Amino acid sequence: MRYVHLYFTCIKRSMISRLEYKKDTVVALFSFFFSNFCSLAAIYFILQAIPALAGYSLYEVGFFYGFSMLPIALDHLFSDEFWLVAYRRVKEGDMDMLFLRPVPVMFQVFAETFQPEGFGELILGVALIAVCSANLTVKVTFGAVAVLCVGAVFGAVIITSLKVAMAALAFIFKRSGPLLQVIYNFSSYAKYPLAIYPALVRALLIFVLPFGLFISLPVDTLLHGAHNPWLLCGAIIGCAAVFFALAVWVWTACERRYESTGS
Amino acid sequence: MLKKYKPFLRAGAIDTMAYRFNILMWALITVFEVACLVFLWLAVYRSSAGGMDAEIHGFTYREMISYVVLTTVFGFITFNNDTLWNINNDIRKGTVGNYLIKPISYRGKFAATSLGSLLTMTVMFGVPFYTAALVTLRALGFLPDLNFPGFFAHLVLFLISGLCASLLNDVIAYIFGVLCFYTTAAWGLNSLKTTVISFLSGTLLPLAFFPAGLRELVSWMPFAGMSQNPVLILMMKYDLAESLRCVALSTAWIVVLELFAKLLFSHAVRKVTVQGG
Repeated sequence: MRYVHLYFTCIKRSMISRLEYKKDTVVALFSFFFSNFCSLAAIYFILQAIPALAGYSLYEVGFFYGFSMLPIALDHLFSDEFWLVAYRRVKEGDMDMLFLRPVPVMFQVFAETFQPEGFGELILGVALIAVCSANLTVKVTFGAVAVLCVGAVFGAVIITSLKVAMAALAFIFKRSGPLLQVIYNFSSYAKYPLAIYPALVRALLIFVLPFGLFISLPVDTLLHGAHNPWLLCGAIIGCAAVFFALAVWVWTACERRYESTGS
Repeated sequence: MLKKYKPFLRAGAIDTMAYRFNILMWALITVFEVACLVFLWLAVYRSSAGGMDAEIHGFTYREMISYVVLTTVFGFITFNNDTLWNINNDIRKGTVGNYLIKPISYRGKFAATSLGSLLTMTVMFGVPFYTAALVTLRALGFLPDLNFPGFFAHLVLFLISGLCASLLNDVIAYIFGVLCFYTTAAWGLNSLKTTVISFLSGTLLPLAFFPAGLRELVSWMPFAGMSQNPVLILMMKYDLAESLRCVALSTAWIVVLELFAKLLFSHAVRKVTVQGG
């Protein structure tokens, strides 16, 4: 209970400092929408030249793109500060003060920023899904909807866990931003149906960096009833639990080896 | 006259050397991105009405993959300046004032630094990467025979258009950087710049895929000269006349944009609010 109160107090403070830079938020939001507009235009132009992409129509591909934004958006809202830990804060000796406070360091990093820009992704993702579904004839089952919700929420947990674990490596190596970037960028593979990839990459995206597990497979389940929704829900939740436990373990282990850079 | 910019040229070159690890990580990210695009294009051609042998908007799948690989290497070598961030830093830390009282041009400093960086990147990474890419693509039969006297002319024009692309990229980054005098939104401005360039330069998708009207409009803008045109010159998809036209267009745009940057800066400098000092 104390932590919930503390979290909201910290977030309030972070939002107040954000309000100082209103123009920044407007520019960032505009550039975000514009960049997605360009990507979607590119997909649209490509699909004008071919009948369907690996059997997926324009609206189905759009659905993938929209749905892939949801877990990413949820993660973006809550865990943006880990990028700074990975890239800068450890290296610049900016973490020392967090170690002096009687609250877990990981909690403080979460509480440092709440990134309202994530709402932009969330809104765009939902809008895309709505537009594409309106142009598709799919049989919506309760199971498929459930697996999409589980994919979005627990997918976010998996992404955050990966982020935490990679950022924690900065405690040892001082800077782990580029490594985090390498891992994180694999999420863009899940913007397209898994069917376009060779079997090895498909397996990698399901079993190793499971972006395909919580983005592509749920969408396939809705569009083509490809998988058993309840089994898939179980797999996603189980995977999220494993990733989260691993992340906490890596973070604790690395935290203990933290040495201040002093500058 | 130009001698006083030599230290910046050197600094840009040395800076780039110092960040070799970052550059390698960036190379890794780039490799995965290219792989994703290659899978996407293979799927596109497999799904097309004509199958794998189809030609879509003038590209066979072999040419398209060569195009993706070469635009990526090209972007990696050519677009590596930190002009926007450095201007933003100068504003935030107040060091911009130091440059205003020195007898060098603020713009000249960045142009020299970028060229220094381009030089290091070309020698250290460009030569091996381009050679590896061209040899591999040729060996796979993705590129036509590089018959030498003809290819040599294209290579020279490619290098010139690469230099133009780097200068265009730098002046555009500078213009966006100067906009930081008006707003502190460096991050947003930077991603806006990156998006505009990658979409309109044909990096994301060759301009041939755009609808006719848009394509015509974009072909007169400076962006195609920053990625698509140099690469198509190298791939010998453009004949010499077309290649020369591209280089001329880029040169004209460099002049126009430099003039615009000058005007913008002289306006912005009166607006500057230095944060801290």
